[in-house]
Amino acid sequence: MRPAMTPGSLTVALLGNPNVGKSTLFTALAGIPTRVGNYPGVTVEEKIGRFTHHGQAIDLVDLPGTYSLVPQSPDERVAVDVLRGAFAGVPRPDCILVVADATNLARNLFLATQALEVGLPVVVALSLADVADRRGLRIDVPELSRRLGCPVVRFAAPTGEGVGRIRDLVLTASSGQPPRPLDLERSPAPDGRPPAAIDAIARYVAIERLLEGVTGAVRVETTAEDRIDALLTHPVWGTLIFAGVMLGMFAAIFWLAPPLMDLISSFMDGLSALVARMLPEGAVRSLVVDGILAGVSSTAVFVPQIALLFLFVALLEGCGYLARAAFLMDRLLVGVGLSGKSFIPLLSSFACAIPGIMAARTIESRRDRLLTILVAPLMSCSARLPVYLLLCGAFVPDRAAGVPWLPLKAAVLAGLYALGVVVAAAVAWVLSRTLFRGPQQPFVMELPGWRWPRAGVVFERSREAAWSFLGNAGTLIVALSIVLWALGHYPKPAVLPAGGGEVADVRGEALRQSFLGRAGRLVEPLVKPLGWDWRIGCAALASFPAREVVLATLGVIYNLGDVDTESADGATALERRLKSARWDGTDRPVFTLPVALSIMVFFALCAQCASTLVVIGRETGSWIWPAVTFAYMTALAWLGAFVVFQAGTWLGW
Amino acid sequence: MVTASLDDVMVGSTVRVQDVSGGDAVAIRLLEMGVTPGVEVRLVGKAPFGDPLELELRGYRLSIRRQEAARVAIGDR
Repeated sequence: MRPAMTPGSLTVALLGNPNVGKSTLFTALAGIPTRVGNYPGVTVEEKIGRFTHHGQAIDLVDLPGTYSLVPQSPDERVAVDVLRGAFAGVPRPDCILVVADATNLARNLFLATQALEVGLPVVVALSLADVADRRGLRIDVPELSRRLGCPVVRFAAPTGEGVGRIRDLVLTASSGQPPRPLDLERSPAPDGRPPAAIDAIARYVAIERLLEGVTGAVRVETTAEDRIDALLTHPVWGTLIFAGVMLGMFAAIFWLAPPLMDLISSFMDGLSALVARMLPEGAVRSLVVDGILAGVSSTAVFVPQIALLFLFVALLEGCGYLARAAFLMDRLLVGVGLSGKSFIPLLSSFACAIPGIMAARTIESRRDRLLTILVAPLMSCSARLPVYLLLCGAFVPDRAAGVPWLPLKAAVLAGLYALGVVVAAAVAWVLSRTLFRGPQQPFVMELPGWRWPRAGVVFERSREAAWSFLGNAGTLIVALSIVLWALGHYPKPAVLPAGGGEVADVRGEALRQSFLGRAGRLVEPLVKPLGWDWRIGCAALASFPAREVVLATLGVIYNLGDVDTESADGATALERRLKSARWDGTDRPVFTLPVALSIMVFFALCAQCASTLVVIGRETGSWIWPAVTFAYMTALAWLGAFVVFQAGTWLGW
Repeated sequence: MVTASLDDVMVGSTVRVQDVSGGDAVAIRLLEMGVTPGVEVRLVGKAPFGDPLELELRGYRLSIRRQEAARVAIGDR
């Protein structure tokens, strides 16, 4: 349930263009938000903070960054609806606090003057006032305030200039009268232009007149900032630097996260061992250790990757590079129906789809965002790597692939990564022309000025992402993990192997007799065309929580017990066991090259990752999209595996 | 006479916007971002494949695709 606001508190809406320091002002006024979530029904983040000024509680509602109050997208409509008081759970604001970038006043006053027409008291905060000073932009603030008919305050984050005044003004304005709207001379429309277009033209004319004498002329000369910009958006140097930055970011996530993840895993392993010692052997212990704690552990290990990626995204966004990255990559992605803004979410999905899908929050267009989220899980994430490595190592022959310097094993590995990219491009292309057909979203994107990122904002972004993942998705992932534990452990086998047998044999038999094992036999006709026996089918089903689980499950199902497939010994033991596996009642080996390839292709394309599906559900606010993702990826995975196995067998591999 | 549009100006040149054609979402967004009749626009640069474009107007930088730029009719400054 959404908690109600405090009775008697004032509600202040924070309105502004994207990238004008809205988050910085939010943090300066209210600190850490008291409520973060999604507005119901839309994928727009809702952020509410609270502060008390002169004994009056004030709720600060952060509206999504928008350029205009004439909404074009569902996301932009949220800002308008909240201002109208049309959103359940958010009372109509008592006052609008408009954040306007002092270094880009004309464009920012477009939204500010629209706010004057809402019928609520308005206070304007001129953000980046210190940057404007450094650039020599003089603004006559009292005169601007007089002409707009509402209070205007300078705000500079590094010194905290203006924060106290903004608190005072918001408090007094809330009980005051709304300002008078600006006079616009809307010309009649001889050519049938829509009112919004006529309004925009008239508004800029009025703003130009309003700013006459308030600001000095904008200086047009090459500054250091311009030279940096010229270098970073240069077709050659800009692209090289871009490749370096992206590679650095990806490498950092790929190499920095695992030690932290290991730390979390070993802590959870220790906790599990401790709990296992304290509880008596039996169903309860199994539930707590293999169900609940395993679920918590598999949730917590994602946190380092999420926190790191959002740290980088916030850094890039804070200094203005995120928009340049989208600018540089747009042409490559627009051909398949995506946009330049899809690049970072897709790139980070090679480490893990979960932070990647969450990073799609930086895409304003709902259509582009959904498309990006739907294809992100096709990028080969780090969880697929152990599956690839084990099967490539064991079943791909040790020889060169055509050219002497390229081992076949490496070529297969690279091919699996390429497969994900190619299929993602194809899926995006098809979806953008079918399910997501419609006029292409305008790509009209501001390239914000270069500036130093604010440490507070960067860390807050990272903390918020990790926290919202743990709170929203985490609980569901744990619940799902418990359900899957039950499916893999019940019903208990009626008859155990004669003499009780080895522990590994008992574990193997228990899995084979469980719902999951039975389901494996049930799907045998479905997986036979892929060259799989029912055990592989069962292991594939059991890997629904996470792909890497398939190795551990293969270990259990082939009576190897709980092998640690991450250790070299465990992997070799599993490799040997797989090589000696035979079809039931024959001496025909199960694992051949076509079968290994078919399994790898299946795992490259399938959606066997419950956490990803949960996150897609959370991020899109609907359970339709994870269902669509699961359905189309599983179908493609089956088809891919089928083609590879049949072709491989026919070619006599 | 063929009217020139913003997608075929040379990098580095400054032009004056005459009009933005159409009344759809793209036209409205361009107008809202300040690409209005009479405003001066400088083409700062182009992305690696010649698309999108980087513009400077009203003291800030804006990126639009060639497809959108083709909607902006221009004249000499």
